[in-house]
Amino acid sequence: MLKAMCAAFALLFVLAHPAAAQLSFKPTAESVHEDQLLNALKEGDKITGRISIPDAMAASLIQPAGRDWRDFHRSKLPIIAGVTIIGMLAVLAIFLAVRGRIRLDNGFSGAKILRFASFERFTHWLTASCFVILALSGLNISFGRTLILPLFGPDSFATMSAYAKLAHNYLAFPFMLGLVIMFLIWIKDNLPERIDLDWLKQGGGFFSKGRHVQARRFNAGQKGIFWIVIIGGVLMSVSGSFLLFPYISADVTGLQFWTVIHAVIAMLFISAMLAHVYIGTIGMEGAFEAMGTGEVDVNLAKEHHSLWLQEELTKGHVPSGGAPRPVAAE
Amino acid sequence: MKIFLAALLFAAVAAVGVAIALNSIQQPSSVAFTTGGARVGDPGHNLVGPS
Repeated sequence: MLKAMCAAFALLFVLAHPAAAQLSFKPTAESVHEDQLLNALKEGDKITGRISIPDAMAASLIQPAGRDWRDFHRSKLPIIAGVTIIGMLAVLAIFLAVRGRIRLDNGFSGAKILRFASFERFTHWLTASCFVILALSGLNISFGRTLILPLFGPDSFATMSAYAKLAHNYLAFPFMLGLVIMFLIWIKDNLPERIDLDWLKQGGGFFSKGRHVQARRFNAGQKGIFWIVIIGGVLMSVSGSFLLFPYISADVTGLQFWTVIHAVIAMLFISAMLAHVYIGTIGMEGAFEAMGTGEVDVNLAKEHHSLWLQEELTKGHVPSGGAPRPVAAE
Repeated sequence: MKIFLAALLFAAVAAVGVAIALNSIQQPSSVAFTTGGARVGDPGHNLVGPS
């Protein structure tokens, strides 16, 4: 009786687990486990296939470096953005709270002198307006799904993102044009000089009231911004071109490399421009007029660009408007 | 203000001009990266379609 029951259970077990009944034959024993395969592939390795469609990149079947790239976008890029952009905003807020707005020691004189001609301002605003849209739409590409999608919902977010992507792609071209023109018209005034070291040593006079450092048309801080814009703009343009025309690189790894470059430079670029916008608006009294109307108060020129003012007066460029009040010599 | 508006207008016109130029010299991805045998008649209105 017991023997019959054991036989019945054995038969039931075999019927219920046919694979287990054939353990001597393991068709998957030599097959590749995905995690082992991915771990075995070295950096830069990829498994490719043979395709007939005219899309070379579609031949890449497995590319483990993509996991690092995904990890960068999900984990590291938000940290970089937080440190650079939010960090810069925090620094500027602290600077404003501690130092306050940098005011003209001698007030406004009422006399104005031309600082930027019409074409220079046109070039500045062309580049700046494109940059603002490129920055916002770029941040949306990186963080919109996390930050904006929950606020507006998928339909609105998708529509907005589609238009933002188009704007990002095509406004890149007038932005690059603006970069080239800015380089050509301002390079001569942005070459490093010995007086830039003095300006830097004294922090531009920003940290103590009543102290002014001599500068020509652009002080060392402004020269720094110029070179950040030019070098950062070139890096963004080159990396962006690979993303705009992905078949230039014709390689998934190459595209991932350029997206990392594009994203990191973008965060640094945006944070630098936040500082530029700050000092050009609320940070310094009278500074915005330089790019607003093109003219600045003579006292601003005396306090922050004294050597440039002397050069302008020597050239016969007479200030217009009210009579400037005398200012103590520096 | 006029210069600022002129810069905005120029940027918009330049962007549209570039878009038209690039669209005229490039094929949609649904055409460029498929062969005739695999090409669908209406790729739809998504990222790979003509629109």
